[in-house]
Amino acid sequence: MFKNYQPKKGYDEYFSSDDFLPRSSLEPLLSSLGEMGLDQLNISHEVARKLLLRHGATFRLNDSGNKGSERILPFDPLPRVIGASEWLDLEIGLIQRLEAIDLFLADVYGKQQIIKDGIIPRDLIESSDGWRPEMKGFVLPLGKWCHVSGLDLIRDGKGEWLVLEDNLRCPSGVAYFLENRLVMKRIFPSLFNGRVVRPIDDYPSYLLKSLQELAVWTDTPKVVLLTPGVFNSAYFEHSYLAQQMGVQLVEGNDLVCQNQNVYLKTTSGIKKVDVIYRRIDDDYLDPKFFRKDSMLGVPGLIEVLRKGRVAIANAPGTGLADDKLIYTFVPEMIRYYLKEEPRINNVKTYVCARRNDLNFVLENLEKLVVKSVSEAGGYGMLIGPHSSQIDIDKFSAKIKANPRNYIAQPTLDLSTVPSLSEGVVYPCHVDLRPYVLRGKNTWVSPGGLTRVALKRDSLIVNSSQGGGCKDTWVVSK
Amino acid sequence: MLLSRVAESLYWINRYLERAENISRFVEVSESMALDCPPGSAEPWLPLVDASGDRNKFDESYLNKTPSDVTNFLIKDRENPNSIFSCVCMARENARQIRDVITSEMWEQINSLYWSIQEGEVIWHQPAQEQLFEIRRGCQLFYGVTDATFSHDIAWDFSKLGRLIERADKTSRILDVKYFLLLPNLKELGGALDELQWISLLRSAGAYQMFRISQQGSITPNAIASFLLLDPIFPRSVRFCLEGIKESLGKIQNSPISQKPNDLECLIGLLLSKWSFVRIDHLIKDGLHEAIDSLQIDLNKLHDLIHGIYFTNDKRFDIESL
Repeated sequence: MFKNYQPKKGYDEYFSSDDFLPRSSLEPLLSSLGEMGLDQLNISHEVARKLLLRHGATFRLNDSGNKGSERILPFDPLPRVIGASEWLDLEIGLIQRLEAIDLFLADVYGKQQIIKDGIIPRDLIESSDGWRPEMKGFVLPLGKWCHVSGLDLIRDGKGEWLVLEDNLRCPSGVAYFLENRLVMKRIFPSLFNGRVVRPIDDYPSYLLKSLQELAVWTDTPKVVLLTPGVFNSAYFEHSYLAQQMGVQLVEGNDLVCQNQNVYLKTTSGIKKVDVIYRRIDDDYLDPKFFRKDSMLGVPGLIEVLRKGRVAIANAPGTGLADDKLIYTFVPEMIRYYLKEEPRINNVKTYVCARRNDLNFVLENLEKLVVKSVSEAGGYGMLIGPHSSQIDIDKFSAKIKANPRNYIAQPTLDLSTVPSLSEGVVYPCHVDLRPYVLRGKNTWVSPGGLTRVALKRDSLIVNSSQGGGCKDTWVVSK
Repeated sequence: MLLSRVAESLYWINRYLERAENISRFVEVSESMALDCPPGSAEPWLPLVDASGDRNKFDESYLNKTPSDVTNFLIKDRENPNSIFSCVCMARENARQIRDVITSEMWEQINSLYWSIQEGEVIWHQPAQEQLFEIRRGCQLFYGVTDATFSHDIAWDFSKLGRLIERADKTSRILDVKYFLLLPNLKELGGALDELQWISLLRSAGAYQMFRISQQGSITPNAIASFLLLDPIFPRSVRFCLEGIKESLGKIQNSPISQKPNDLECLIGLLLSKWSFVRIDHLIKDGLHEAIDSLQIDLNKLHDLIHGIYFTNDKRFDIESL
């Protein structure tokens, strides 16, 4: 299977690039794969694809509801393996980062000490797309803002883990993370031979517990999951999580605010709701408060939140910390709030809002990756080394017109993991999205969603750009 | 506690699947019967379009009205909202909207059915009757899985309502259409073909074996009409469906009949007593066709009342109702 496998320059997670020998934690898996053989792997891969389709683990590429656009997220059967001690370090680093971000959000929507102390300039915060001045002065249950987060990690050419971006509004992908493991256990049981992989099935329990803990005013909290509806591309995940937690999946129209509370409309009258796990963007949550034309939200919801009679996860306003410019300040936040050094570093980032950085970026566009600070999903970016001069010139004009909107990073040698490509194994670039849950305590998913760029030599792992995913194993040596 | 939107989806999932199942049975039986008819005659076919209530739509889209036009219209036509394909799509879309409420086994069953009937799938390479059997079995599996894995609370009762209202409607329609088509032949001394036609009517309603067991006598139009409309224990008869509807409505309202019954209680009460105590001879003397017509009007009224009270009535969401 690996006879003709050629690791790329950079860091391959199966084989060391010096001597092509398997890395230490890979041994049992490689021998199981050897026994299976490439033909069987391909056959089982097809069975796995059918299983995902039967389960309805699908997404729709756009919101048109066009039946033809429904597809499964491409699934790759070769798992990514991470050693337990390495994972422990990452876990501590992720918790540290979330603690700091949460303190930052409570501060910036509260006393604004970090601005007064000159750590972050006020104008960079107030010019952010994610800034919600309406949320100033809100006191939230447990003082927490980010209850469910997904942080994107990568490994560079030397194998060092770095944070690429933070997803703090409503990060998606966790259903695929759970579903991938289920498929692996069902279709590829022999690959688990000879070792214990840390289980992940308790994610929905921790999620429910974290959400319930936000309802500090009752012992019998009623939790619901608010979805924009069946046409949303992540709808499968919304329904999956609601089902796994045993909470009701609701749309804006199912909820009504009366008498300073939020209620569900049921066949036997209305029922009070305590916690809303929302999978709708801030803007659409409440037409009385944010976007007036929103049909997806609940009029009056934010007023109930202000009165402390409902909890919303994640809180509106957390998108501020998603801003890729604000991201560059997270190491500062860790030093400022926690008095510690960051355990996982950021990727080196140039901020076009700063004159020196801007000049450097404009002169070196062909070497850099440039991203719009507020766009997600692999949209609105320029990958310099893979772009034509025409594209680069166009992008250059965009950056000059609105420097605040862009950051740039060196083009990284993302690490690779062998993946099935055109029927053979090929080194494909990956990233990792672990999930962090925060109620009274903080819980990090063992592993996370490994996204893989299945298009050969592509650096973009996003599903909207043809990326897929694979199972992630945290294993003890 | 059940969301109104969810109750409505459960109701429609079951209505659509019951519809798909009935159409597949109608067509399956006609496919087999057509083999006994002179070639090219559309005799067993057009009545099926009449039974589906979509004759006008069919006439607009199909000029030649060949047997294959009819089967295409009833099975695969995406433009026909009541084709099997459309029904399964709508049922699956409703199920997708409430995936968190139904069990994953229910979802997988309806989802597999949906993917299995897409263009170019294996099922379409089989003989016609096999295709229809597969689809029908797909619908029935869904009921079975529902029955065995889904708690029997009011969510289940809303599912049952959708299924039984649709079933009562379809049983009465197939009887109405076929009965009058076959009746002139009564004057002829029952030949072999004639008997076959009546048997096929029973088969279309899924009633042949049970009719045989319950009647033990010869197949007469009166006995068939009586069985399909008034039999107390046959699960596809109109009366049996009405019994089930009344039972589920009672559980949903969670009350014995009140002092002042509301419109819904009145309607189902009157309907059930009429179809429990009427005699088939009287029905036929006063006009079977008219009786079935008025039944269908009543079933539509029943649907409208359920819809108004449980699915859309915003008055129920006032704070006072707590």
